[in-house]
Amino acid sequence: MRQNTALLALVVAMLAFVAPAQAARIEVQWWHAMSGVLGDRLNEVVEKFNKSQDKYTVVAVAKGNYDEVTNGVIAAYRAKRPPEMVQIAERGYMTMLLSEAVVPVQDLLEKQGYKVDFADFIKPVASFWSYKGRMSALPFNSSTPIFWYNKDHFQKAGFDKPADTWQELEKQLYAIKAKGISECGTVLPGDFYWSLLENYSAINNQPYGTLANGFDGLGTEFVYNKTKVVSQVARLKKWLDDGIMQIAGQGLSPEQLFTSGRCSTFVNSTASHGNIERNATINWSATFLPHESDINPPLNSTIGGGAIWVMKGHTPERYEAVAAFLNFVAQPETQVWWHGATGYVPATNRAYELARERGYYKDHPTREIAVLQLSRGVPNENSRGFRFGNFVQTMLAQRQEVEAVFAGQKSPQQAMDDAVKRGNEILRQFEKLNAGKNLDGDR
Amino acid sequence: MRSSAIGRDVAVPSAQPRSAAASVSHRAAARKKARPAQEAGLKRANFGEGPGLPTLLLLPQLLILLFFFFIPSLRALTQSVLLSDPFGTTVQFVWFDNFKALFANGEYRQSMWVTLLFTVGQNALTLSVALVLAFATDHIIKGRSVYRTIILLPYAIAPAIAGILWAFLFNPAVGPLAHVLHGLGIAWDPNLNPNHALILVTLAASWKHICYDYIFLVVGLLAVPVSLMEAAAVDGAGPIRRFVSIGLPMLGPTVFFLAVMNFIYGFFETFAIIDAVTKGGPAGATNILVYKVYVDGFVNLDLGSSAAQSVLLMSFALLCTLLQFRYFDRKVNYGV
Repeated sequence: MRQNTALLALVVAMLAFVAPAQAARIEVQWWHAMSGVLGDRLNEVVEKFNKSQDKYTVVAVAKGNYDEVTNGVIAAYRAKRPPEMVQIAERGYMTMLLSEAVVPVQDLLEKQGYKVDFADFIKPVASFWSYKGRMSALPFNSSTPIFWYNKDHFQKAGFDKPADTWQELEKQLYAIKAKGISECGTVLPGDFYWSLLENYSAINNQPYGTLANGFDGLGTEFVYNKTKVVSQVARLKKWLDDGIMQIAGQGLSPEQLFTSGRCSTFVNSTASHGNIERNATINWSATFLPHESDINPPLNSTIGGGAIWVMKGHTPERYEAVAAFLNFVAQPETQVWWHGATGYVPATNRAYELARERGYYKDHPTREIAVLQLSRGVPNENSRGFRFGNFVQTMLAQRQEVEAVFAGQKSPQQAMDDAVKRGNEILRQFEKLNAGKNLDGDR
Repeated sequence: MRSSAIGRDVAVPSAQPRSAAASVSHRAAARKKARPAQEAGLKRANFGEGPGLPTLLLLPQLLILLFFFFIPSLRALTQSVLLSDPFGTTVQFVWFDNFKALFANGEYRQSMWVTLLFTVGQNALTLSVALVLAFATDHIIKGRSVYRTIILLPYAIAPAIAGILWAFLFNPAVGPLAHVLHGLGIAWDPNLNPNHALILVTLAASWKHICYDYIFLVVGLLAVPVSLMEAAAVDGAGPIRRFVSIGLPMLGPTVFFLAVMNFIYGFFETFAIIDAVTKGGPAGATNILVYKVYVDGFVNLDLGSSAAQSVLLMSFALLCTLLQFRYFDRKVNYGV
């Protein structure tokens, strides 16, 4: 008897939860990692969508940083209660792709009858998020590193702007320091592995791993210990020793050292436009990342940022809502607005054209750099992007080895050899785990 | 009821006689020990017959242990022999590969070494500073409660905040204390120099924990009989001599307890400080075991290795505590 009462109470409680959802619009959740200004902008996108129609409601839930979002969705998936959509950073691509827990967005959108022109996505953006030519996640916030600089420092030293090559730039930075204009030529970015090693390799046409940087299979191995990356690390070490480059360290963001006018230059994501515009007390500008003098022309850079993944395990009507939202996000109007509001690049060529037609770049010239840098030339095997499993883990191992160079414990060659060795062990573990999942010919 | 309980207690040691001679003396000793304790009037709670009520009363604690200790431990044990995709969709049983990989890995050995340096350093620093402060408390007449409150304050600060505070104070670019060090001719840079980073996190972790040790020591000192101190004073012993010869030995059990607690604190609870001050860097110099468990599990999503590490860490902590009890406990005088 008592059991029956408890059961009844439980059923009533469950009904109470279910009933309102059925009555109103179909509600789907989107877990994301945007905070601060970017979080506000993201909420505006969601609000625009919710107001644009009356059938679906997207609820954006901030779940902390990218790591926290990833862990949150993993726990939710294991508990069989995943959100419908989740924003995952670029480095998590392989983990998500092979998780067997996601629905490829292109399949979903086509099945739901939306005609998104996937061929129109900017090349390095599309290739990064595609598997076998089909898009697995919808690029939402795509960025790429660009070169920020303090105009006054360069002018005082007698330069118009930063040089195009690392060799010439080095001379400029040493000159700025020698003339006593600035104590700090540049500041090491927190994600230097992304901007100064990975993107450096793409731009300078250096292979990062075998099998087309992993695009041709899980058997890929890192090879950056045999490329210009080693001399790049040596260059950074030299700059550090000579006081040209500083490390901000914990408790201080590298960006602050640039925006406060202490450091003359800063390599960072185009997505920091919002922050720099708001915080900078200096006369700043930005330009393309430098390239090696013997590499001409430089290739495209690659992307960073996040994409929207759709999780398995939901009802067809929920997927209707998800598809409607993704279609909304892919629209040029949404892209242009997001591009202007945040500094992230527009994901499609049409959105870029639209922004240009409207004269947006006349007032905001630095916002165009990222798009131009991403879409210059034809991406080749070295610049298409990176397709490494456990890419966060290999990156952290690499960062540790670079830090050992900075600390004077290892030579650049030794450190890169060790990083490659550690990275390859991690790649082999990923290969072992996903043996049998076919990735051949992924283009 | 009562006599049968005594009988049962006494019967236990005599039930396993080893050699005849030993067992006789052992039994006699046991009887001597057991009886006064029972007869000294230590109250026995009476729950009536049957296991019902005691079980019920134990239940909340057992449930907490079940959900927050036994089930997670079991999960960690099973996960540690698996190679699995973070979503749990692909799982392979790999025996002890995760453990083997750890011991073959230079990074893990470095982490063990760093943890040892960090916990021992933190323990020594925390205890000695707390002892000095506790000693001083006894000799402060005016404003003792203010003094005590100020020392206790760091305990109320969240570890992450404390970490950021220390990171900022000692930041070589903007930190005021770093500037003082630079002024003294020390090339202080915890972002580059592994030793500096380790010193910094040890300082931060100790600062956060001194108050914990301090309050136990102050209370411990209060328990030292005043008559002993007065007698020593009459004999001409100064305050420091009194503290070293009387206070300190009588604090033995407290110091021992605190040493164990400090190790546990160093092993498990310093995670947030490491995360805020150095993120385990530079070059893994402050990558203590618990932080590595976190990074491998929650950032790298290498759940098998992370589980194997947490099993090992648990074993290390157990081993460390057991060793302390085995070798130091004997030297501690619990009598008053």
